[in-house]
Amino acid sequence: MVRPQADSGRYMGEQGKSMEETSEFLTGGFVAVLGLIGLLLASGALDDEMYLFGFSLAGFALAFNAMLIRRHHNRVDAARALAKAAVRHD
Amino acid sequence: MTDAAVLGPMPVYNEAIVRKFTIATMFWGVLAFLVGCTIAAELCWPGLSFGVSFLNFGRLRPVHTSAAIFAFGGNALFATSLYVVQRTCRARLWGGEALAEFLFWGYNFFIVQAALSYVMGYSRGQEYSEPTWHLTLFLVIVWVCYAAVFIGTLARRAEPHIYVANWFYLAFILTVAILVLVNNAALPVSMYSSREYVAYGGVQNALIQWWYGHNAVGFFLTAAFLGMMYYFIPKQANRPIYSYRLSIVHFWSLIFMYIWAGPHHLHYTSLPDWTQTLGMAFSIMLWMPSWGGMINGLMTLSGAWDKLRSDPALRFSVTAVGFYGMSTFEGPVMSIRDVNALAHYTDWVIGHVHSGALGWVAFITFGAMYYLVPVLWHRTKLYSVKLVAWHYWIATLGIVFYMTSMWVAGIMQGLMWRAYDQFGFLQYSFVDSVAAVHPYYIIRLLGGLMFLAGALIMVFNLIMTVKSPSTAPGALAVPPRNLPSGLTGAVLAGE
Amino acid sequence: MKFRHDWIEKNAFLMLILVVVTISIGGVVEAVPLFTIETTVEHVKGVRPYSPLELAGRGIYVREGCYLCHSQQIRALKDEVERYGHYSLAAESMYDHPFQWGSKRIGPDLARVGGKYSNDWHYAHLSNPQALVPESLMPRYAFLAQNELDYGIIDRHLRTNAILGVPYTAEDIAQAKADLETQANPEADQTALLARYPKAVPASGGPRGVTEMDALVAYLQVLGTMVNFADTTTEQMKQ
Repeated sequence: MVRPQADSGRYMGEQGKSMEETSEFLTGGFVAVLGLIGLLLASGALDDEMYLFGFSLAGFALAFNAMLIRRHHNRVDAARALAKAAVRHD
Repeated sequence: MTDAAVLGPMPVYNEAIVRKFTIATMFWGVLAFLVGCTIAAELCWPGLSFGVSFLNFGRLRPVHTSAAIFAFGGNALFATSLYVVQRTCRARLWGGEALAEFLFWGYNFFIVQAALSYVMGYSRGQEYSEPTWHLTLFLVIVWVCYAAVFIGTLARRAEPHIYVANWFYLAFILTVAILVLVNNAALPVSMYSSREYVAYGGVQNALIQWWYGHNAVGFFLTAAFLGMMYYFIPKQANRPIYSYRLSIVHFWSLIFMYIWAGPHHLHYTSLPDWTQTLGMAFSIMLWMPSWGGMINGLMTLSGAWDKLRSDPALRFSVTAVGFYGMSTFEGPVMSIRDVNALAHYTDWVIGHVHSGALGWVAFITFGAMYYLVPVLWHRTKLYSVKLVAWHYWIATLGIVFYMTSMWVAGIMQGLMWRAYDQFGFLQYSFVDSVAAVHPYYIIRLLGGLMFLAGALIMVFNLIMTVKSPSTAPGALAVPPRNLPSGLTGAVLAGE
Repeated sequence: MKFRHDWIEKNAFLMLILVVVTISIGGVVEAVPLFTIETTVEHVKGVRPYSPLELAGRGIYVREGCYLCHSQQIRALKDEVERYGHYSLAAESMYDHPFQWGSKRIGPDLARVGGKYSNDWHYAHLSNPQALVPESLMPRYAFLAQNELDYGIIDRHLRTNAILGVPYTAEDIAQAKADLETQANPEADQTALLARYPKAVPASGGPRGVTEMDALVAYLQVLGTMVNFADTTTEQMKQ
């Protein structure tokens, strides 16, 4: 299946941007669910390992989503700054 | 007509994630070698665990094997497969940056959790399959995402043919998924407990475990790294792959035959004879497709053998293929029942494992890393070619010490266990064989330390490559003479 | 039309399917008959599920990675049979989830270690192997004697095994905790326990309560003792 003109991701333009955002929302949402599962497992943990894993998973979810949120906002800010600079130049 | 005119402009590849995986590869590599040296030392001087539970051999060995195979090997495969699939498909990674980040952080989270669990005293109790059920489930999630990203990128490729390296990476991803899902089938005691009981028992479990174990070697450590070889050797040598037809034949026969080889781990045990014989027959036949890969890799150097003199990184890759050939000859030999009667349970097996792991897996990875780092960080060259040569020779010598000491120890053990005196009694007690191999364990430790030293040299070299001003783009101190106008340092560096 | 590998190379989905089919064949051919051919597990008498204390001990054996240095599978080779005893039968490990045959002998094979040494020898050896065997490479496991055994949900362990096909009865599961405590206490009346788990070896006892060492030793003491080879015919052992 070859689609040389379609979304081989070559352009970081309109199409690329929405793919990134979908990816961020889906991945972030999924990881958040994992984090909640981690808390659930830790809550009833019968041994140290499950306790550690549950909390670590929750921590991982927090840190990972914080990173995704930071990236998202950095990208929005950068795009805004670029648009502003372009307007000024006109 | 140029490529660009036919296929359109080059896409923007996701290289950030490849950089992350590359750093992780080197980090875990050093850690794996360090833990390996630690447990090797414990086998020389058992007091080194000080009676402390989380430092003893039984708990640390899985940390070493997991770090070497899954942490070092796994991250190397993620790095190179994601790099290669994008470049050979002329397509950016499918799934977006966020999913790629999850691959990296998720996989490495799994590794850290697994290592901690072994040290704390939690293990499934099967070799290379020690992670408990919840960790395995997490790995499955990461792996499904990996398959989606890789296959998705293949599906949206601009280049019509799937390049040969990707066949091997694809086979690796799919087979490992099946192996893990089947072998790790287990029932936890409770959703809230790490303890579980494997779904299979006794002899059936034994076969399934070694179907898994041998194919972890065959697909994780062999097929996937062959994929690495198929990209990086032609790239570094600047030559095409020797034979297209050979790639086809050896690919399909390799992935077909490897699966059957498991029973050679179970000769003379209570596994039925017919299964043992099948395993032995296929293990011996496996020699051919394996050497097909070796021939294809080595003969790619035709017309470019002089590059081995000037490019120590290529030397790593080519030597790796040589060790691959050696291991894939030794393996079939050891699979023969009568040879196995001597070799099984001895250190010869350990020697065989490490000639493959250090000589093939680690060396082909080093070759790829030395090529990749300057490219990924947009540097003109490696910081020091001389240090690469030092790494090469120290590491190779280390491997030789490791292999030969284990050959001697292993064959000695095998012979001592079966020795009879003139009265027809067993000549040696078991502990006699333990005492006899002590000096060889020390030599093995020395070999391992040398290998570790080489890796530390590499880490230094790579850090300096990334950081040093001497490798920055456009940083040629003396402007080159006798060159046609218009050529820059970057072009000279082969970018 | 002549087949060309080209077609596979240009179709990722086709390649995927063909790879999956190719790699599935060997595993199916080798694994499935082991579940369907009845004589794979020999029809010998005497093999029984582990008693609760033995099962707990096995859990410790697994978590400490004992199988990494010790095998539990005597091969059908003359010198091995002479050194360790009758070669191992598949039946003897049929209730082992997972199997513990091992793949390396840094220490001796343990398939028939049961009954070879006294409880006291095992306690002393596990605590300080070099005191009894100076050349030994084994780590010290004295901490096992300090750790209280955590057997609060031992009945769930038996139930999980039962779901996987190990023939624990409802009574076994109900009596699990009591059986464990009985076996750990040498003063207690072992009759009921031995009726359910013949040849179970009681622990040496002591003021510590039930320790992890007690469990591990109980497990080691039953290894290889279940089948009475004097009473077994060659026919029964045929695979």
